[in-house]
Amino acid sequence: MTEKDYSTTDDQTLVRAAQKGDMTAFEELVARHRDKIYARAYSMVRNEEEAIDLSQEAWVKGWQRLAQFQGESGFGTWMTRIVINLCLDHLRKQKRQRSESIDAMDEESGGVERQMPVVTVNPTAGLERGELRQRIDRALGQLSHEHRTVLVLHEFEEMEYKEIAKTMGCSIGTVMSRLFYARRKLAALLVDLKKDDLGMT
Amino acid sequence: MIDYDSQLKIQAYLDGELPEAEAQQVAKRLAQDQEAVLLLSELRNTRQAMVNAQAPMALPETREFFWSKIEREIGRQESPQPAPRRNSMLAAWRRMLVPAGAVAAVGLVCMLSLVSSPGPRMETALADSGAFTYRDYNSGATLVWLSYPAENEFADSEPAGTVQ
Repeated sequence: MTEKDYSTTDDQTLVRAAQKGDMTAFEELVARHRDKIYARAYSMVRNEEEAIDLSQEAWVKGWQRLAQFQGESGFGTWMTRIVINLCLDHLRKQKRQRSESIDAMDEESGGVERQMPVVTVNPTAGLERGELRQRIDRALGQLSHEHRTVLVLHEFEEMEYKEIAKTMGCSIGTVMSRLFYARRKLAALLVDLKKDDLGMT
Repeated sequence: MIDYDSQLKIQAYLDGELPEAEAQQVAKRLAQDQEAVLLLSELRNTRQAMVNAQAPMALPETREFFWSKIEREIGRQESPQPAPRRNSMLAAWRRMLVPAGAVAAVGLVCMLSLVSSPGPRMETALADSGAFTYRDYNSGATLVWLSYPAENEFADSEPAGTVQ
């Protein structure tokens, strides 16, 4: 028996075949989109093993819910929503198991971001892409998961406030406030990292 | 000092989330207020840095290995789960003990049969793996040991072994 070669077949056709139970077609979809799904999970949980497990879980869920996919968005986008929801559940469970983060308390106690001095010089100006990635990565790692998530959904997934609010189960006002805090904190962290690199601390 | 609502409006202006009328108000303020301009500039720089830093990442597992895990999990979740059996612990013990006992008995017989001297020997009949025979040729003694419970009157009235 020969395996079908789906390497040149478009996503839509693969989805239709997979909806009829064709596992080979689904495997091809996994191969095409697995890096993006993993990257999104990693950007949210910031742990390689957890990101692999969550992306695997997302693919299993994707297979089980394939009949619900109507093609309103691209298959990759649909799968990204699944992994985002799984990551949010995972992060909420983690948060319940530990005390509230200082960042979250800051946000709720009036917001230090309102008093933070404005960063007048662009702390990432002149950085090469690799360097910039490293710095952003380090700074993102210092944010609480709520603030990191809102940034990831807005800047990487290009979601609107309304959509983020729906995904995160909060109000638009909370999204605006979290996004504002996250950006201001990120700017301050990037300045600190720049000072560290210049040996100014 | 810009109040918090205005700060959030400047951000919403940057993100294109304000209705036209409010966007015009913010634009008007930006034309007059240097502090507002600096805040907008900081927010814009941070947003741009995030977008520029977005790196393509590769899943650190091979295609085959990653798929095999997904396929196995799909199969596991789709296969009907067998109903739990009663006394499953006891049954599991029995399943383990029967072959282990048989192996131990065969091992014992093999070890004893390796001894070539005409000393005491242990034998078991293939037809009845529950019966073990102990023979001591020097003293002319034979002992038959039955590993299962007696089922007849004769066995009930006699000890487990028979001396010849």
